Amino acid sequence: MLHRLESLESCNYNGMDVAVLEKQAAGLKWQQQNYVVQNSNLVDLCASSVPQFQGLFGSNLGRGQMIELKRPEVFLGSDDFQEFVNFPVAGPEFGDSEKLDLVPHEAAADYCISRTSSCQMTAHNTSVMKEEREDTILEKMESAIGSGKESFNKRKAEAVADHKSKGKRIKGEGESEVKAKCSTEISRDSSKENSKASEVQKPDYILVRAHRGQATDSHSLAERARREKISKKMKCLQDLVPGCNKITGKTGMLDEIINYVQSLQRQVEFLSMKIAALNSSVENLPMKEFPAYVANFPAAAKLPEMAGLPSYFQLNPLQKESVNCMLNESMLPPQTATEGIASASVSSSSGITQLQPFSAWNMDPQGLSNMYNMGFY
Amino acid sequence: MDLQNLNPSSLKSRFTARFLRALTEINAPKTISSSSPREIFQRYRRIKVAADKSMAYSVRSRRIWSRATLWRLRTRSRSRRLVSFGRRASVKTRTTASHGKENKEHHGAVLGVQAEELRELVPGGEAMDLCNLLDETAHYIKCLTTQGFCVYMGGLLCEGCC
Repeated sequence: MLHRLESLESCNYNGMDVAVLEKQAAGLKWQQQNYVVQNSNLVDLCASSVPQFQGLFGSNLGRGQMIELKRPEVFLGSDDFQEFVNFPVAGPEFGDSEKLDLVPHEAAADYCISRTSSCQMTAHNTSVMKEEREDTILEKMESAIGSGKESFNKRKAEAVADHKSKGKRIKGEGESEVKAKCSTEISRDSSKENSKASEVQKPDYILVRAHRGQATDSHSLAERARREKISKKMKCLQDLVPGCNKITGKTGMLDEIINYVQSLQRQVEFLSMKIAALNSSVENLPMKEFPAYVANFPAAAKLPEMAGLPSYFQLNPLQKESVNCMLNESMLPPQTATEGIASASVSSSSGITQLQPFSAWNMDPQGLSNMYNMGFY
Repeated sequence: MDLQNLNPSSLKSRFTARFLRALTEINAPKTISSSSPREIFQRYRRIKVAADKSMAYSVRSRRIWSRATLWRLRTRSRSRRLVSFGRRASVKTRTTASHGKENKEHHGAVLGVQAEELRELVPGGEAMDLCNLLDETAHYIKCLTTQGFCVYMGGLLCEGCC
């Protein structure tokens, strides 16, 4: 206890400086807050056990929220992992109490056990934090952690023996974004020796947790890890495909993705057909300036309204025939978009007067097909 | 999912440069008078191929789908030349279809039907498990949007130049 106090004090000094630089290196944020707390309540800290420490944590920092002593079972896989992950990502926000709730439970547990051994490292890291960016710090940490990776298991074993929390802990020093390297620990509960720790050697870790009553053999865990990966990727895809925020469930999402990819492909085909039908002899294309111009087009996903588009659709009879010929050759499957093209080419002879803004690159697939249909009146 | 290596600005510039080059080649020998539907259709095909090829070349071999597209284009052109000599070259783009199906059954994918559809859409998707397929799909979507945008801008350019 005394030894821990001394190490605390040594860390506190650095913490004072660090408290000024809270905006940096979010991975160490919770530790800084530890230091801030300890500065004010050093005496109390000595006598505190883990739960007390947490209560202290919450009250002293003046957060309105009570820190829930969540059971580790709640910290399942990707959901809460995301929260952990978001923690360093949204680094500079010091006042984010929500994230604070999640980490201290683990962090405090972490703290009590691994403080003595790792305090030197963190102290060193906090001092260097001023100059370094988050990722380089994490790299250092990882190298430091990686060097001790052989003793990883040993330390884990004795760490778990001390506290009863089930499930995983994320080592505070190694906390980082999902996309960056994460190093995680899986704690082995002394009472639950059969829960498997998925030891991953590669840097990208997926947390898999064995709930109560769930199978803990390697196959089901691997299966669950795979499913977590897939759901994570589906979430990334959800950001890419517009209009997918409301859709939950893999099947619906996949349908949307399929529609979107199809519409994008059709769009490219349609545009190339348009170019082919333009009948322009282009000898002097500005080959140098144009690519740079296109590359620097601001927010290229949103295009301004194509005021010039009406002229494109004034297909002369020859071009209309070509379009029909194309469709007859079943180049494109008879879907809504191409049917719209066919109807437009047949019906319109005087040109299009009205068009929807061609912000196709941000439209959901439904909107895209609607646009195709409606834009050809 | 790592989409950070896809730098849109450089991809766009690479793609646009190649595409414009291809466009000038396609449009150069053409005379304005001859614009039969047949020819327009042929030109459309060439432009589409040029767009796909430029996109695949801009991504190089970093991605499975780009490699598959390049391979497909090359074998198609090769087969076309052979056909002109009276031979029939069967291009097997689905050589690994059986392998892909085995993977699917082994993993017991619940989303088998849709994954199959997605595999048909994304070039080279037949041999990938769902995990990699989703990765490739994300990258492919990003590239498709850039491609569409650049083709559109190229169209505007052609429109403006004629």
